[in-house]
Amino acid sequence: MSSSFKSLDLFGSGPHRFYQGRQGQLLMLDVALGGFTPMSFALGLVELEVFVRGRLIALTESGLWSQRDAITAQLLHPPTPGTLIDLHGRQWTDMSFVRFEELDRTDRNHRRTLGYIATFRRMIAPEAAPEG
Amino acid sequence: MLILNPDRVRFGDIAWHDVLSIAAEAAPERAVVEWSDLGPHAAFADVPEVRTTLKVSRSPQADDLASVKPGQRGVLEFFTSPGADARRVRIEADCIIERTSCQFITGKGAVQTITLIALSPDGAADPLTIEPV
Repeated sequence: MSSSFKSLDLFGSGPHRFYQGRQGQLLMLDVALGGFTPMSFALGLVELEVFVRGRLIALTESGLWSQRDAITAQLLHPPTPGTLIDLHGRQWTDMSFVRFEELDRTDRNHRRTLGYIATFRRMIAPEAAPEG
Repeated sequence: MLILNPDRVRFGDIAWHDVLSIAAEAAPERAVVEWSDLGPHAAFADVPEVRTTLKVSRSPQADDLASVKPGQRGVLEFFTSPGADARRVRIEADCIIERTSCQFITGKGAVQTITLIALSPDGAADPLTIEPV
């Protein structure tokens, strides 16, 4: 089956892989707060991150740009959460698409290809934005 | 591609005599291989960066003191030796000298090896031009 984000097949032109980021507590050391003890404070569970690492593949330059533009068009402010689904049907709900990083340069031989890492995060308050 | 005893070998304005062989090699400078989450086998591969190298082996003359140096650029041109039925072929490439070396081989004498990097005019065309004569 195809992977998708908000029902869009953004990454299907080439092979891609999913993996989750570090999970658990956000810990703050007492010394970082001006204290003098080895204590740490648990501030809550960090927001879940899911990474998609893969390669976009196209026959032409314009075809590759179309794919990149379709992906970056999903980078919104403020982020609007959606469902991310991997190649095996595993679903992550309420995920915000927060980063798209192109790896190295466009490669050109029998195909036009580009490596990338896309980052999704389950934000506690995606609609929140700082004033000013 | 291996050409034995090529005829009329020139590098720019320099004529190279007693050329024993010219070997053309294409090697991946960088290959891309990708896997998906669906299984253990590679799902995509390509070679976006290719290095085409020409190795010229020749018997240097005793008075052959003026030698080419790394970084020198010129057009390498040579012809395949005419065979009874095979057509002669002219091969040409815009090249940069990468390295030169000499060694003495018992039974063969001195052998000079000149390694050249062949350049494409635009990055897309094959660096070697091959045409029948």
